[in-house]
Amino acid sequence: MSAVEDPRPEVAGGTDGPDGSVTFGLTVDGTAHQVTARWNESLLTVLRDRLGVRGPKTGCAHGRCGACAVRADLGDGAHVLCACLVPAATAAGGTVETIASIGGPDGELSDVQEAFLAEGAVQCGICTAGFVTAATELLETNPDPTRPEIESALYGNLCRCTGYGRIVAAVETAARARRGATR
Amino acid sequence: MLLEAPRFALPETLGEALAMRAERPEAVVVAGGTEVMPDLLWRNRTAAGFLSLRRVAALRGTTTDGGDLVIGAGTPVAALTTAPDGGLRAAASSLGTPLVRTEATIGGNVVSALPYRNLLPTLLASGATLELTSSTGTRVVPFAGFVTAPARSGLREGELLTAVRLPVHVGFADYAKVGRRNAQFVATASAAIVSRDGVARLAFGNAGPTPLRSDAVDAAATALLDGRARPEDLRAAVAAAVDPPEDAVASAAYRRHALGVLAVRLVTRAAVDAGLGS
Repeated sequence: MSAVEDPRPEVAGGTDGPDGSVTFGLTVDGTAHQVTARWNESLLTVLRDRLGVRGPKTGCAHGRCGACAVRADLGDGAHVLCACLVPAATAAGGTVETIASIGGPDGELSDVQEAFLAEGAVQCGICTAGFVTAATELLETNPDPTRPEIESALYGNLCRCTGYGRIVAAVETAARARRGATR
Repeated sequence: MLLEAPRFALPETLGEALAMRAERPEAVVVAGGTEVMPDLLWRNRTAAGFLSLRRVAALRGTTTDGGDLVIGAGTPVAALTTAPDGGLRAAASSLGTPLVRTEATIGGNVVSALPYRNLLPTLLASGATLELTSSTGTRVVPFAGFVTAPARSGLREGELLTAVRLPVHVGFADYAKVGRRNAQFVATASAAIVSRDGVARLAFGNAGPTPLRSDAVDAAATALLDGRARPEDLRAAVAAAVDPPEDAVASAAYRRHALGVLAVRLVTRAAVDAGLGS
């Protein structure tokens, strides 16, 4: 396992004893892992603290802010979800794609990420991976979204810096660029 | 079984899930996790282990059976935002966020049995029934009366909620709620309506310890619908019928007032839909 050992006893399984642990396979950004986690840990904790995958951020940790949004397939079709709400072992044998799968392998940015930069839609950055994940999913299913459709698709992502205007503009820009490129 | 650890069971079939339910009565049943995971985080509940239904494919999906829409208990709320029933559609569309709706299930919403849960007034107004299954068989019970107190239901030991059956009404159905803010809010008070053949039936959320409806309210709503009564008559009937909670979110008096407003709002929408007024 390529996990970063977490020194915190409550994360490392100390309180539950050996019976409290659960071991399962999980593919993250194309890499197969064997994970041992506490039975009630969230997928987000496993990604960040056990596997060292730091793209998804810990924001509210209860499904309101979308900072931990990842694309996951838990056996019922890949879709974007909040990793903080998924009991990690529920994802046994599943696949997770984080923001690292949206950009290129050598750090090159996707068209949506470029649009976020161009429009100044990034400030402190904690929400950005979640917004880009949700926006990328939107453009996959709806290449020409209206402004209300963009706002509705990003309703589960919170930003406390930008006031959202530049984020919505970035999605419009990405959609326009993508349509232009395929025309 | 996809996974069977001492404190975590991940069944793939309903048979495996029921066997685990009987074998591990102390385990918390979790489907989407949207309620259980925050509850554990905030120590609102303790759990001895999880029985996750997330991978039981047979619990997901919607079919029709006679006049009923049969919704598998593991069907995500996101799938209900395009349901043929207007009340279910409105209640599902205003639940959480798009990222929550893909995980939250109708079964979790029902079994959590909290009076402010979005889908409950709609199920009560439309006369929904529930399929409760154990290893010895399935019983079908009305949703009315299933919730016995906040977070308490008529689910027996060894049983799982496997489907919600909603009669498909020809007519008008809708749902409305008010909260402390205008986005991502839990209902401070909520109401649902089913109206057909000139008869209105209302149900309320956070109007008492359990989802609530009353014949007197329905009589007043029906009278308002066909112009025999005024809005204040319906508001008075609602105020007399409800027993809303008093808590840090809102006073009982506020909720009593808001429930009357929601009732009139929904009857007005039903009247407009029926071409009876504007």
